[in-house]
Amino acid sequence: MAVTKPKLMVVGNGMVGHHFIEQLCSQGLNKHFDVHVFGEEPRPAYDRVQLSKYFETNSADALMLTSAQDYADWGITLHLNTQIIAIDTKTKTLTSAQGEVYEYQRLVLSTGSFPFVPPIKGNDRAQCLVYRTIEDLEAIQASAKNSKIGVVVGGGLLGLEAANAMQQLGVKTHVVEFAPQLMPVQLNDKAGQLLCSKIEQLGVSVHTSKATTAIIDGETALHRMTFSDESYLETDMIVFSAGIRPQDALARGANIAIGERGGIVINDYCLTSALDVYAIGECALWEQMIFGLVAPGYQMARVAASHIASSVFSTTAASFKGADMSTKLKLLGVDVAAIGASRGFDNAQFVELSDNQAGIYKKLWLDESGKFLKGAVLIGDNNDYSRLLDTYLSQDEIQGSAVALLLTGAESETDLKDSSIVCSCHQVTKGDIVNAVKTGNHKMADIKSCTRAASGCGGCAPLVQKIIDHTLQAEGLDFNSGICAHFDHNRQGLYHICQVEDIHDFETLISQHGKPSADGHLYGCDICKPAAASIFASLKNHYVLDQDKGHVQLQDTNDAYLGNLQKDGSYSVVPRVAGGEITPKKLIAMGEIAQEYDLYTKITGGQRIDMFGAKLSQLPEIWRKLIDAGFETGHAYGKSLRTVKSCVGSTWCRYGVQDSVGLAIDLENRYKGLRSPHKIKFAVSGCTRECAEAQSKDIGVIASDKGWNLYVAGNGGMRPRHGDLFATDLSTAELYKYIDRILMFYIKTADKLQRTSTWMESLEGGLPYLQSIVIDDALAINAELEKQMDHIVGTYQCEWQTSLERPAFLARFNEFVNPDAAPATEFNTYKRIREQRFPALNQQEANKTGAGTIAIKDVTDEKQNVSEEVVV
Amino acid sequence: MSWVNVCDETSLPQGTGVAAWVAGKAVAIFNLGKNGLFAIDNVDPASGVSLLARGLICEIAGQLCVASPLYKQHYCLKTGVCLEDSQLIASPFAIKTEQGRVFVLAKG
Repeated sequence: MAVTKPKLMVVGNGMVGHHFIEQLCSQGLNKHFDVHVFGEEPRPAYDRVQLSKYFETNSADALMLTSAQDYADWGITLHLNTQIIAIDTKTKTLTSAQGEVYEYQRLVLSTGSFPFVPPIKGNDRAQCLVYRTIEDLEAIQASAKNSKIGVVVGGGLLGLEAANAMQQLGVKTHVVEFAPQLMPVQLNDKAGQLLCSKIEQLGVSVHTSKATTAIIDGETALHRMTFSDESYLETDMIVFSAGIRPQDALARGANIAIGERGGIVINDYCLTSALDVYAIGECALWEQMIFGLVAPGYQMARVAASHIASSVFSTTAASFKGADMSTKLKLLGVDVAAIGASRGFDNAQFVELSDNQAGIYKKLWLDESGKFLKGAVLIGDNNDYSRLLDTYLSQDEIQGSAVALLLTGAESETDLKDSSIVCSCHQVTKGDIVNAVKTGNHKMADIKSCTRAASGCGGCAPLVQKIIDHTLQAEGLDFNSGICAHFDHNRQGLYHICQVEDIHDFETLISQHGKPSADGHLYGCDICKPAAASIFASLKNHYVLDQDKGHVQLQDTNDAYLGNLQKDGSYSVVPRVAGGEITPKKLIAMGEIAQEYDLYTKITGGQRIDMFGAKLSQLPEIWRKLIDAGFETGHAYGKSLRTVKSCVGSTWCRYGVQDSVGLAIDLENRYKGLRSPHKIKFAVSGCTRECAEAQSKDIGVIASDKGWNLYVAGNGGMRPRHGDLFATDLSTAELYKYIDRILMFYIKTADKLQRTSTWMESLEGGLPYLQSIVIDDALAINAELEKQMDHIVGTYQCEWQTSLERPAFLARFNEFVNPDAAPATEFNTYKRIREQRFPALNQQEANKTGAGTIAIKDVTDEKQNVSEEVVV
Repeated sequence: MSWVNVCDETSLPQGTGVAAWVAGKAVAIFNLGKNGLFAIDNVDPASGVSLLARGLICEIAGQLCVASPLYKQHYCLKTGVCLEDSQLIASPFAIKTEQGRVFVLAKG
């Protein structure tokens, strides 16, 4: 007779409920119990901490912590869309909304919390929403589509997250807070003020000391919010984020003890007043406290799992001893951190640093003796967080002056002790990470899966990466990040070497820093040579085909001949047409040249004209004519700025609010010729209708009525990506400054052939990190980045102009060194279709399968046979 | 078979290739300085296009080769064999210099 396993029921499948399941499985308890999990939502556990990421990808996938398959693999029954409506603690049963009854031997409540909606008249009107689930986000997104203005009620941590989400959706965002400052729970007044001014700079309006009295019909918008001071604000949508309340209704109905102000009362083992019933996470009340952060919830999950394990394996159960509520995060791109008693306390000593210029505020609270750190608040610069948290948690006596703690500069992983907690979500210490690296886990992804570090809120990811790198280095381990067999460095490393050591030739680079072959060859390969050429050009901007410096032999296919090689060995020619604006005179000149050389012409996606079919030896004469007609090279052959696409803009368009064409031309002229890890495309739209499709470009600019909104790291192509809104309402001068810095930082840090979109995705810390560097100068490199860009701009050259000025150089464009010896029968075959010239397929091409063999269709005249002509 | 004078040594810049006509055939010539001169068929066997002289010179696992500018296959400069597909061969030509003049041995 089969032995029935005891039943363990878990109500709630949020982050904490899921963490509990992971703890069960890691101890093998899923084999000892028949485990059932009930979730009200349609999907299994996802990351609520980073909820606004949903808008970046418009998909819940990036947020998912698990899948139904994981649960099936663990042998756990997952009931989604299933609300439990009653518990009977006497019969030990649960009842679902569908009327099913489930027995339990053990029950874990991880029902979480619900958003508190203040009891204001009109709070149930249309487009009045909350921010907690993916369904809430979908509702916010839908409302944002027909909203110009939005209000977030609540200036706490979650409220500012919601404001971030709302602003990303392009809604003019206001934050209304009842207290006289933002984040009143964590920050003192000065910190609150600085945060407020920083957030206002980002375009969010903040209204503090405002008590909303009612929401009524608006005159210029859907709603009007009236305040107790008789002022009002009109808005199209409202998101309430005024705190959370424990979801304790189910326990309350079962007569389980509840705190006076809500919350399921638990003891140190997370047990409630009912036999064999546990509560964990935001629904639980421990010593009169609700813990609204994920890290304490995870600790409770571990304690409950350990208590259950103790009954099965006769081990000692861990107990919950309270949790540190310190937190570090980026709110709307602004660094904010609070540690311990972050708002101070009576008789506390303190050290305070307020740097208005840099927008940084830090305050440390010490005990009466001034020897022990009791709390800290950081705004605008989180770099000291891990070290300060460590000092606070260890309660080590502060050596020397406490002010030194504020002035030691960026934290380094070497400052941390092995016992220091690096990931507070999963309680992972530096020692855990170091050991994992030493046992063969060298990549971030490996570390995440084996230690779980950086897989909670993700805030510690940059520090974890530093620890990985440092450990690998200390162990002398080869983590092989080299770009090819000739170098152990990645592109960023090579760039750094070339910059610091002022290297601008390949032979020096490979002989001093590379790995010559066994025979001592220093040739490098088709991976490292073009990468080096690009780095030299980004740093020095010398002529790319310079023979004396040995640059010519490093260039890839297209750069090597300043043209775009086509499948038949001919080249295409693309002059610059900045911003897509061209005079009729130049258009005619281009047409005449194309006609003379019988070049196939096509308008490109970047608003210029591509002329195909030029023989190598024709390139210099074609370019001579183009330059005489006032054209310059379009750098279509380079990994460099291609075009700045533009819409018509305010000069002609009835709707345009700014001169998009003028800006596009200026931008193109500033950044033309800039060699970078990959090609760069820009676009400028003159109003929010976005006709230039700027959000699909590496750099996108959209006019607002106050200035320019800057988007970065968009992409079309194979993996389309919407650009991230980087900053809003910029003046033209600010716009240039930011673009200078962003592009130079990209050039400095990207991998070989990495577009800005993938670069952004791989950048630890992502958009907020980039913003902190470019806007707040967190790395103090902006002056250097701008100087470099000025150098590039100041040394611009049209490479075809330079080439034509050196007759000796033009030998390179002779197809043959002895053209007189050419056989009389040399010819290329072309087809003429739609009155233009196309390469005819040769035998090899014709034998290949795939799209290349599809016949080119003449759409102008179906009856006319495709005529083949022989061009000698 | 005869040696054909195609050009002077000064017409061969170091570290790059040039194409030359040798008895009606296009030949790619590469000047590798102290490692000498190499000559292989200029026609890329993978595409049928005459352009190997325009490729990038590489050292792959000790072998000197040229990367085709079109689809980046590597051809050994000594044997002409494609590293990615040994069926593809850009056949090699004998090459020598005499008194500053470059000679390639014509085939057929």
